[in-house]
Amino acid sequence: MTASPKPSIGAVLTAPIVWLARAADMPLRAWQRLTGRGGMIAFFLIPNMAVFGIFVIVPLVINFFYSVTGGTALFLSDRPFVGAEHFDRLLTCTDHFNPTTCREDMFWTAVWNTSKFVVLQVSAMTVVAMITALILNSKIPGKAFWRAVFFFPVLLSPVVVGLIWKWILQRQGLLNFALYELDMTQVNWLTERSWAFAATIGVSVWAHVGFYALILLAGLQAIPGDLYEAAEMDGTKPGRVFWRITLPLLYPNLLVVIVLSLIRAVQVFDEVFVLTSGGPGTATLYLTQYIYEVGFASVLRNPGLASAAALMMGGVLVVLTLLQLGLTRWRDRK
Amino acid sequence: MGRIRIENLRKNFGAHEVLKNINLDIGEGELAVFVGPSGCGKSTLLRQISGLDQPTSGHIFIDDKDVTGVSAADRGLAMVFQSYALYPHMTVLQNLTFGLQNMKMAKVEIDRRVADAARMLEIEPLLSRRPGQLSGGQRQRVAIGRAIVRDPTAFLLDEPLSNLDAELRVSMRAELAALHARLAATMIYVTHDQVEAMTLADRIVVLRAGKIEQVAAPIDLFDKPANRFVAGFIGAPSMNFLTVEEATPILPTAPAGTALVGVRPQHLDPAETGLDVTVSLVESLGTETVIHATLATGTRILATLPGHVRAKVGEHLKLGGDPARMHFFDGQDQRIG
Repeated sequence: MTASPKPSIGAVLTAPIVWLARAADMPLRAWQRLTGRGGMIAFFLIPNMAVFGIFVIVPLVINFFYSVTGGTALFLSDRPFVGAEHFDRLLTCTDHFNPTTCREDMFWTAVWNTSKFVVLQVSAMTVVAMITALILNSKIPGKAFWRAVFFFPVLLSPVVVGLIWKWILQRQGLLNFALYELDMTQVNWLTERSWAFAATIGVSVWAHVGFYALILLAGLQAIPGDLYEAAEMDGTKPGRVFWRITLPLLYPNLLVVIVLSLIRAVQVFDEVFVLTSGGPGTATLYLTQYIYEVGFASVLRNPGLASAAALMMGGVLVVLTLLQLGLTRWRDRK
Repeated sequence: MGRIRIENLRKNFGAHEVLKNINLDIGEGELAVFVGPSGCGKSTLLRQISGLDQPTSGHIFIDDKDVTGVSAADRGLAMVFQSYALYPHMTVLQNLTFGLQNMKMAKVEIDRRVADAARMLEIEPLLSRRPGQLSGGQRQRVAIGRAIVRDPTAFLLDEPLSNLDAELRVSMRAELAALHARLAATMIYVTHDQVEAMTLADRIVVLRAGKIEQVAAPIDLFDKPANRFVAGFIGAPSMNFLTVEEATPILPTAPAGTALVGVRPQHLDPAETGLDVTVSLVESLGTETVIHATLATGTRILATLPGHVRAKVGEHLKLGGDPARMHFFDGQDQRIG
């Protein structure tokens, strides 16, 4: 009598999958016979589409209904139809550049703060990411270590980022302690309007620059070394090499960085909320925080108004995304 | 102008010596071809000459001026890369003018040079196109054009035809030869293709493991290889090497000190008496038939016979050869006589 061979660990571990696959085989074949190729595509897409539908499409539709209904009730059936009243309230201003002349002054304060934040943060992000990528792409010792160092903040939760920097920047934080030790004037980093605004930009850049630097680094590494050698033979000065060779060849990656960071900057919320809570006053009140506070946090919460603001912000994001697609296609055609 | 002299040049990558005491003198207007197997150091040597790499020791002279520490741009050389290295985002015209603009050359002079080169290489209709819109051959012309407009002391060409298909390679090879004749410029050409080396070179530099094995005109290299390596590397199919005992049927007496006898496959013929071989493979190429065979000792032997010769696998053949066309090597693989 011969003993049956002992099953391997791999065979034991995969046994349930094999069993499941065999069990699913017959009904799937039947389904394919019944519905054809299209039916199989639908079968594999349905789980993902269901999750996408439940967590994206349904909230989007509900958000739209909230935006055209009034009151504080949460159930749509309890909310009276008000048409475009919320949009009208948000958009009515004597002078759009002066939020105090607007019916919803906080909304416009948030819009202008966000606009300033987006322009400055995206500019700073792009420049810092580019410099970081150029350094990481050069011949420096411990390159892999430095890459990990720059990417590490990307892995942190935004709340943790906010807390770390709050610990550093608060009135009696690490930075002021260092300044005190160096006999230098201490600064109210988070309670003085301009410093707080700058801090939100700096923290946001610090938290995300690793991700964008990585995109640019991939682009830099894709540029053939031969081109730089040809430029060297041509006697091209380093500055001209950057402007005439590196930058144009990095354009597709740069475009991705600018558009992604733009979209992300418009949505800025968590790290700033932890760091400054929108303060001092409304100095760092950005659009997402405005929506959050009007919809959920204020005493007189107004889900309809928050939904209308969210829809308008969504519209801006759709435009930015289409811009990215358009620019990418234009570039590809070129 | 355009003499290039290399003295005692060495290049190390870490502990590994890639170029070992290279001494070479390339004359003005000469087309020198560096040839050798992969990793022999031919491209590394070209990079030392170009200035893209610095040697560990030794000197490079261009027109008797020591340029060892001089930057690539200031050596007055132009290079054609294996990948062409054309700037993909620039038009052909911009590719041609980029280097000249770096030199702050007057626009009139740039225009004249570009027009001359474009006319010479027949790329005038391509000037507004980008490299991505060109065929391999057209890119190759543009890369050469970019080198020509610089009016360099010497041209360095790093396997410039290796990315082209076989047909285009043959025609571009002829064009390069014509271009060299027209420009009368010094050219250093790196290739692993010995047909390119034999057809283009004034002199061939054969390298192996970072050392120059022989420098000679193509036909001299073929007829009088300095050692067994050169004898085996130059010529296709490769030379056969037999011991004196194995060669006895076709070579009554070998020169004193002979350890190996070299016979080119083209110099073996079917004969009544000679080497007794067993055919293992027959390659009928139409104009010629290449016979792969083995001697009784197990030594493999190749014979290139006329196309009409028919042979079968397993068949026994007698191959004769002319002793006057044989090569003799001593125990150190060096040529005798």
